Amino acid sequence: MDSRQIEERAAAWLAKRDSGEWTAEDERELAEWLAESACNEVAFIRLEAVWDQTLRLKALGAGKRPGTVPPPNAWRLSPYPVEASQSKSLAAPGIGTPGAQRRRSGLLAAAAVFLVVIVSGIVWHVRSQGPIYRTAIGGIATVPMSDGSSVTLNTDSAIRVAVTEVQREVELDRGEAFFQVAADPKRPFVVNVGKKRVVAVGTKFSVRRIDEGDMRVVVTEGKVRVEDASALVTLRLIPPRESPSNSAQPTAARPMEGEIFLNAGTVARSIDEGLLVQRRDLAEAEEYVGWRTGFLTFREIPLRDAVAEFNRYNERKITIADPSVAAMPISGKFRATNFEAFVRLLEDGFPVRARHTTEGIVLTDRAKT
Amino acid sequence: MDEPLKVWFAREILAHEAALVRYLLRAWRNRDDVHDLRQEIYARVYEAAKQSRPNSPRAFLFTTARHLLTDRLRRGRIVSIEAVGDIEELNVIVDEVSPERRVTAREELKRLARAFDALPPRSREVIWLRRVEGLSQKQVASRLGISERTVESHIFTGMRQLADGFLATSLTQGDGAATVLTKIGDSTHGQQTD
Repeated sequence: MDSRQIEERAAAWLAKRDSGEWTAEDERELAEWLAESACNEVAFIRLEAVWDQTLRLKALGAGKRPGTVPPPNAWRLSPYPVEASQSKSLAAPGIGTPGAQRRRSGLLAAAAVFLVVIVSGIVWHVRSQGPIYRTAIGGIATVPMSDGSSVTLNTDSAIRVAVTEVQREVELDRGEAFFQVAADPKRPFVVNVGKKRVVAVGTKFSVRRIDEGDMRVVVTEGKVRVEDASALVTLRLIPPRESPSNSAQPTAARPMEGEIFLNAGTVARSIDEGLLVQRRDLAEAEEYVGWRTGFLTFREIPLRDAVAEFNRYNERKITIADPSVAAMPISGKFRATNFEAFVRLLEDGFPVRARHTTEGIVLTDRAKT
Repeated sequence: MDEPLKVWFAREILAHEAALVRYLLRAWRNRDDVHDLRQEIYARVYEAAKQSRPNSPRAFLFTTARHLLTDRLRRGRIVSIEAVGDIEELNVIVDEVSPERRVTAREELKRLARAFDALPPRSREVIWLRRVEGLSQKQVASRLGISERTVESHIFTGMRQLADGFLATSLTQGDGAATVLTKIGDSTHGQQTD
């Protein structure tokens, strides 16, 4: 019997016992059924415990006229508490919920979110020297903007924000940020990464700055336009092997002269003057921005790339000593700041040995040691 | 059945159902398995507790959960670690609610009321008359002008919905209260179910 059938059976026993027509024979059969398996027992206990609890509803019935069932939500208790869990899941790890923060283990937790806000006067007065927001390694922070948009900064990131009456502009100086843009056709929303610009009107996307001036853009809703300030540069086609950490083939690599539109589900990586555009299904594109909830999702990527991702979030770094280990394909979903768990899982499931040093963790091939 | 064990089980284990289910949903890819996994975890914990009660029930529950998931993986010969995801997630989950923090009777009553309010109107009526006003199933049937069999079936289904609604919000979901980490973290790996 599967668990649902067992639960139904347990409920049937309880409902029957409650009917008042309960014989010694029933009692004996129930005892036999319970003795059959612990699964039966726990299913029964679970329902019985809750059924016993229902007697406490009497406390709510006090003062009510007998024979009438009070309508829902009409109890004299104080209003039900707001589901804190909902706001928690939205704010997810990082900023906003001190409790959530305290929960995280490891040394990073203490320093996890370190948001520096330099308020330089009133925002609309400020042009490109707008407020600066930063996160430390392992930190995540969400910053509301005055136009109703919001920016979520990933680990070790920095942005400058300038909202004016004609334009909304963000300089991504370092790291990665996810933008949820409030629609406003009169004021384009521009993210600058070096000389490249990502322009959006009412959409959700993430931009990550990689090295000098290169970037990766992930669009999860709406559409964005990518421009290059030095628009006359000719772009070369980027071969797939240069694609960052993923096996999917690029479907387009276009010159970046003028502008390029990216739709939802697109992952684009710029390398030098080229832009590599990959169409993914939306769910997969969402995985790229899963860091907002503190998770990293890998699909069949070499361990070296997975490790590189982890290292962005943690002060203690993982290094790989053997090429055979570096190339192992890895899939999974992990908490970004819990790299110890990741390493333990690797040791459990793969021929990998982890050596803990003062600087971090070194992974070696177990077969060789 | 062993009455003290039942009471212990309801108070110390079932109280963590919401957290357990959240953990399973996060750690196991197939949502359809969660009901089954939950029951098997409960059964293992219950069997173990027949021998001796664990010192830290919550930690023991989650350790059992982790072992079960690992067993399932081995049985399925799943090579990728994808299926369990971040199984060590439990280090985070376990300390989600401090063991010191007991839900007050008042909070519990609120949760009960909420779960009760979420029942379909007829089941809600039946359970109210039966449990609050203390009518027998037979009296409920005549009061509402329905058959006794229908009353019993409302109890049969209402009870399960009530259990899901009540236990699914069990404990202090995300109350953000300061929690004790080290204490629980230490005992997590201390108890073995196998």
